[in-house]
Amino acid sequence: MLEAKRLCKTFNGKSALENVGFQLERGEIYGLLGHNGAGKSTSLGIILGMVAPDSGEVFIDGISVQKQRGKALRKVGAIFEAPAFYDYMSGWENLKVLMSYSGGFDEKAARNVVERVGLEKRINSKVRTYSHGMRQRLALAQSLLPEPELLLLDEPTDGLDPEGIKWFRDFILQLREEKGMTVLFNSHLLSEVELMCDRVAILREGKRVFEGSVKNLAYETPVYQIDFDKLDVAEIVIKKLNGEFLEPNRISLPASLDPSTAVAELVNAGIAVREFAPVRRSLEDVYMEILNGQGSPN
Amino acid sequence: MGYGAFLAMEAVILAVYKLEASQRQVRGLVERNGLEFGTYYSSLTITFTIMLLSMFLLGSIYFALVAGDIVAKENEDGNLRMVFARPISRLRLLLVKYTAICLYTFSFVFFVGISGYAMAVAAVGWEGGLFVLEPKMKVFAAYPDWWEGAGRLALSAAGIGISMITLSSIAFMFSCFKIKPAAATIITLTILFVDMILQGFPFFKPYESYFVTWRMSAWVFLVEQHLSWPKIIESYAFLMGLNISLFTIGWMAFQSRDFKT
Repeated sequence: MLEAKRLCKTFNGKSALENVGFQLERGEIYGLLGHNGAGKSTSLGIILGMVAPDSGEVFIDGISVQKQRGKALRKVGAIFEAPAFYDYMSGWENLKVLMSYSGGFDEKAARNVVERVGLEKRINSKVRTYSHGMRQRLALAQSLLPEPELLLLDEPTDGLDPEGIKWFRDFILQLREEKGMTVLFNSHLLSEVELMCDRVAILREGKRVFEGSVKNLAYETPVYQIDFDKLDVAEIVIKKLNGEFLEPNRISLPASLDPSTAVAELVNAGIAVREFAPVRRSLEDVYMEILNGQGSPN
Repeated sequence: MGYGAFLAMEAVILAVYKLEASQRQVRGLVERNGLEFGTYYSSLTITFTIMLLSMFLLGSIYFALVAGDIVAKENEDGNLRMVFARPISRLRLLLVKYTAICLYTFSFVFFVGISGYAMAVAAVGWEGGLFVLEPKMKVFAAYPDWWEGAGRLALSAAGIGISMITLSSIAFMFSCFKIKPAAATIITLTILFVDMILQGFPFFKPYESYFVTWRMSAWVFLVEQHLSWPKIIESYAFLMGLNISLFTIGWMAFQSRDFKT
């Protein structure tokens, strides 16, 4: 559905993206993670043709955004962190203006979407009277009006209250379920990414340092809680198995290694193993490890 | 607020016109040219003065402000990002905005003319002719007949409208650059004032027709007794060429920009 190929971009001599690439399959929710300045918004800007890459190209359904922006974005909707509307107009008028820029206003479609995002009671009020959550719903409504197959979300839940965040998450998941929509979710809210995304890429200083499935992410380099004696002998055994001691009672082992093999090796070396249990790491743990340089670039 | 400012200005000009000293001055001017004061101290003549002064004093600021805002302010507020999330080309967006600003500029001049005329009618009645004396452009005209005077006044309003589009085009071009909206307005006004000041220097007298503000003043020729179409067309062709160039430069700058928060 979406393919970003070797994107590079510098701003005032400072590299914002270095050879970043990723691919989204149809119906997938893909998260772009990274702290501020990591290159998430630049990536999104390039996908939408708002930012010209120094090199690289983005294809949506095989159409190059850089060469045929209008055609490529025909089935794309996007939302930004702080959506800006014409405050002196009503929500309905804003939808009219935005739709008329790209192919004309379809009243029936607009009514349906407004109802769907739960704005029908306030759609005729001036946008200046809207709360942040209502603006975000209006942004969602406008993004759904070209009936998109691909939705680009740039920090969409920032500033929303927990109820709003949950509503937003459920809404996106429902859209994926009903319409098989593909979603690129750009965020630094790790819990949201964990709950919504199938796969994630982590960006650090403009480079992609990780890409993988969210389910497997936590077990990418499995960590185990271990209680034993003879630390010096255990260190040799674990090193031989390509593992490492993170803490005196916590080890990481290669994902390919069956943990029972590790236990057997330890016992065979004469170590009394009293406890050996996998530690379920959160996305946050993995994210922090990768961003702090402990994780291996992917 | 803009409309209100213009109405207030029209009221002030009208009030000044009603002062005895002003009337004495107009009487002297009209009678020195062998014309009858009663015929030319009229709503048409007052409307002409209102249009001339309000466009010069307020119109330039107002149009520079509106056109300077039209792209730059939307970028500053983040609206452009929202618009560009949709499949619209930058050229199409600029064409829509430029058309809007041209229509706005043109129609606003008529708003000033019509409202000015309405006020003048309320003050001195609808009858009378049109008297025009513009020493800088060397234009003198007197139309004793109301219909003829009103026709020329409408024609000159159209001319002002077209001339003002150049001012809006300059501000529009700067608005397409990566600058603050206020900067686009200020740079536009600076360029026009410098152009006007330089034009007044004796050294530049032979080259006055190369100055933008001189070309913009060509609308005055539309009230001349005998219309000199080649002179008028030459000036408007110059302005049209300039407008196209300004739009193109603005578009090129806009096209090569990155839009990112």
